[in-house]
Amino acid sequence: MSGTQIKNLVSMLNQIANNNNYKKTDEETAKIVANHLQKFWAPSMRNKMTKYLADDGPELTNVSKLALAQLK
Amino acid sequence: MVNYYNPATEGTSNQPKFDVNKDYGTPASKSTETVCIEIDGVTLTVAEGTSVLRAASMADINIPKLCASDNLKAFGSCRLCAVQITGMRGYPASCTTPVKEGMVVTTQNNDIAKLRRNIMELYISDHPLDCLTCSSNGDCELQDVAGAVGLREVRYGFDGDNHLDAKIDDSNPYFTFEPSKCITCSRCVRACEEVQGTFALTIEGRGFASKVSAGTSDENFMSSDCVSCGACVQACPTATLMEKSVIEKGQPEHSIITTCAYCGVGCSFKAEMKGEEVIRMVPYKGGKANQGHSCVKGRFAFGYATHKDRVTEPMVRDSIDEEWRVVSWDEALAFSANKIKNIQAKYGRESVGGITSSRCTNEETYLVQKLIRAAFGNNNTDTCARVCHSPTGYGLKATIGESAGTQTFESVMKSDVIMVIGANPTDAHPVFASLLRKRLREGAELIVVDPRTIDLLNTAHINANHHLPLKPGTNVAMINAIAHVVISEGLEDKNFIEKRTDEYNAWREFILDEVNSPEAMESITTVNAEQIRIAARAFAKAKNGAIYYGLGVTEHSQGSTMVMGIANLALATGNIGREGVGINPLRGQNNVQGSCDMGSFPQELPGYQHVSDDLLRGKFEKNWGVTLDNEPGLRIPNMFDAAIEGTFKAMYVQGEDILQSDPNTQHVQAALSSLECLIVQDIFLNETALYAHVFLPGSSFLEKDGTFTNAERRINRVRKVMKPLAKYADWEVTQKLSNALGYPMNYEHPSEIMDEIASLVPSFSQVSYKKLEEQGSIQWPCNEEFPDGSPIMHVESFPIGNGRFAITPYLASEDRANKRFPLLLTTGRILSQYNVGAQTRRTANQTWHKEDVLEIHPNDADERGINDGDWLGITSRAGDTVLKAKVSERMQSGVVFTTFHHPISGANVITTDSSDWATNCPEYKVTAVQVEKVTSPSDWQTRYKKFSAQQKEHFKRSPKKEKTTIGR
Repeated sequence: MSGTQIKNLVSMLNQIANNNNYKKTDEETAKIVANHLQKFWAPSMRNKMTKYLADDGPELTNVSKLALAQLK
Repeated sequence: MVNYYNPATEGTSNQPKFDVNKDYGTPASKSTETVCIEIDGVTLTVAEGTSVLRAASMADINIPKLCASDNLKAFGSCRLCAVQITGMRGYPASCTTPVKEGMVVTTQNNDIAKLRRNIMELYISDHPLDCLTCSSNGDCELQDVAGAVGLREVRYGFDGDNHLDAKIDDSNPYFTFEPSKCITCSRCVRACEEVQGTFALTIEGRGFASKVSAGTSDENFMSSDCVSCGACVQACPTATLMEKSVIEKGQPEHSIITTCAYCGVGCSFKAEMKGEEVIRMVPYKGGKANQGHSCVKGRFAFGYATHKDRVTEPMVRDSIDEEWRVVSWDEALAFSANKIKNIQAKYGRESVGGITSSRCTNEETYLVQKLIRAAFGNNNTDTCARVCHSPTGYGLKATIGESAGTQTFESVMKSDVIMVIGANPTDAHPVFASLLRKRLREGAELIVVDPRTIDLLNTAHINANHHLPLKPGTNVAMINAIAHVVISEGLEDKNFIEKRTDEYNAWREFILDEVNSPEAMESITTVNAEQIRIAARAFAKAKNGAIYYGLGVTEHSQGSTMVMGIANLALATGNIGREGVGINPLRGQNNVQGSCDMGSFPQELPGYQHVSDDLLRGKFEKNWGVTLDNEPGLRIPNMFDAAIEGTFKAMYVQGEDILQSDPNTQHVQAALSSLECLIVQDIFLNETALYAHVFLPGSSFLEKDGTFTNAERRINRVRKVMKPLAKYADWEVTQKLSNALGYPMNYEHPSEIMDEIASLVPSFSQVSYKKLEEQGSIQWPCNEEFPDGSPIMHVESFPIGNGRFAITPYLASEDRANKRFPLLLTTGRILSQYNVGAQTRRTANQTWHKEDVLEIHPNDADERGINDGDWLGITSRAGDTVLKAKVSERMQSGVVFTTFHHPISGANVITTDSSDWATNCPEYKVTAVQVEKVTSPSDWQTRYKKFSAQQKEHFKRSPKKEKTTIGR
């Protein structure tokens, strides 16, 4: 797995979370993020992030982690 | 098969009597009141305010005229249209005399005839008598009028003072100015003012000495403000202003109406032909997008279509280190299909994908995404809209329910305040800019939100304008501040909000937060708070407020947020659902609206129908006879990442130069070099093709039938005027590739593809070539509810019921200026070049812009000891390049600007992979850079030159005539 790709995906994921968290709890934001990933991300991209999360996902924000956990 | 049809000669069913090819002498009156008059014994009822000249012309009583034209205000200088009117003294000019109830007009009798002959005699006494060898022979109004008035002699002789020795100005590459043939009717001057809005021309001197002048000391067009739109050439009734192509080749013998393939305005043109050769492109008065106007690109820069660089034979190679082998179409397609199949067998179904073209037709784009979804069996399809207007799709769908602009271009003529955000229409959408400027001259107020002092701000005879020169990357802060003023000062449209919107209260609470006030945002936007307040009030108080925006909105990390912010402002002020208002994305390429509509995005089937919706997807599965993937595919940047990672191995790219146009060039190079099979279909061996294994020759817009959809959702016909140089139109090539892959496609004509689209896309359900031919063009939605199409959208309701306010907090771009990279680079376009320049660089438009330069503010230049013309090294965290300096006050201090029209510039070597949070649209408009003087090209440029030269060698040495066999 290339470092650049993971770095890009992590930053994209955190960016989605940061743009959708206005006066929301982490759980509420995570739901929006998970829905966005489901609707716009290819499964291969989502899978890479869930794997990264399984490997501890050091660069992920709490919201991003919660969102990934919700993915089918 | 659809029969050949030409609306120029056959009219339309809606307006059967109006002949768009006829010049009625003066513009139509907008009045709804009517007046009854009698002309030459014919009783007529016409709109109040109509000129006698026009009224007569409508009854096919054709009064001679020279200075009058129906796209210009009546001028009354030539006096040839003199008539007699009962109760009026003398011979009033019919062009400047409006009709009055009961008026009785005589247009022909001996007295009038004598007067007209006398006038013509004076004209001809100072005009060369070289009609037979004159370039306008066969298309000369002066000659026609001389014939009509029966001029038989010139009693004055030709020896007196005259202008016959006046010098020809051929400085413009496309037309000449031959003043000896000028009759000083000033149609050119008025066209430059009234139609184009540039005011480059003037009449200099008085009486006999008066002459048309470009107003410069050099006395030539090239050194003047002329933007070469061609309006003057079209207006000229003699050979004074004449296309060089006509001088060289003679008058065209037939013409075909088609649609320009440059920007998203989608101008209609008459391609005037001799056989299969285009002699000139003349803007078509019946085209609803352009109403008879044009710009330097569409009007003149079509020569690329037959340029010697066109590649007309398919080529293949196993590796990019090899020479190309010219092969037959069958071989090239079999080679491609085998590669794709083998790659999918080895790396899986998801390992391949493709990019549809926003320059190709709707039908072609539809076929490419269909091939990807049905033949490749995945949703890895994307289009260049990814890198321009994808945030428009996301943002507008979320707020107003449809990914498209809400108006017609004509709507701007009813706007009172026009806000232009992050768009430069005079350069990127010139024909619309002319219309906009016309409205500004009528008194509408202008608000420009842009880091640069764009040319629109320099519009002549403008009443009031506001410039909010914000710092790049702070759009959302600005739109929130504007909305904050509207709400906090109680200027919102309460009635509209109540009836037509949802989620207002939450948004109201958000926007009223002090952090969104102009004062709080001042330190972010760097724009004076009071200036913002004044502009916001002007917009909110306008009867009709319209917002136009471009890539300066979308190409940011908060592009989608900004689009939603714009929608919030339009909703809050009730500026949606009628003429003069609306949210208007100015689309970049000719068919970028169409390519989005046609299902180019990985998550959406044609008509923005999500792949995960079983019902919607089921409809396509049934029609296409395949099972479709129900998950979104990869977007362009995701494809690149996956290629570098090694899971994405093949790409089919139609009509799109991703290497030059996409950001972070070195990243794109790395991705393309990782592919095992890159299939490029294009008219030229473009930059992307340097990395290709298969080259399939494309066809220009002149070589095929189809449709383009412009920025106002207008579906316009593209008509074939010549055979494809490489035998097949692009849709035929895609079809053949699909068949080679084992998924059958058997369309005989693009109209059949449109029929299939209509059966699957609800907003296109009543679109057909037949209806397009009847109506000339159609603005979608065109369905049972709106059978004639929809000029203005959301009149009664939104597709999602009510409009939805979105919460849009401002977040700073991650790429911020710092000590190492203290300046912000923003990129854009200029008038004469188009996008990656592949087309315009192969025309005389090069005369205006031979190279990309870096525009820098005098303060920043002084600080670095930079002068005009110095070589500058520009470095960002992504890479570096070298460009020539142009010190310019158009820039604000701290911001530098360049264009990406020339590959060697490497503008996108500097841009980064930072992108919009929702859509991955790259943040071209904000890159932190350092600029310093250098003496040699950058390493990248040196490498590029070497690689490019090597690839040219591979191409040049390919045996062109003797076709080789694959594997030999």
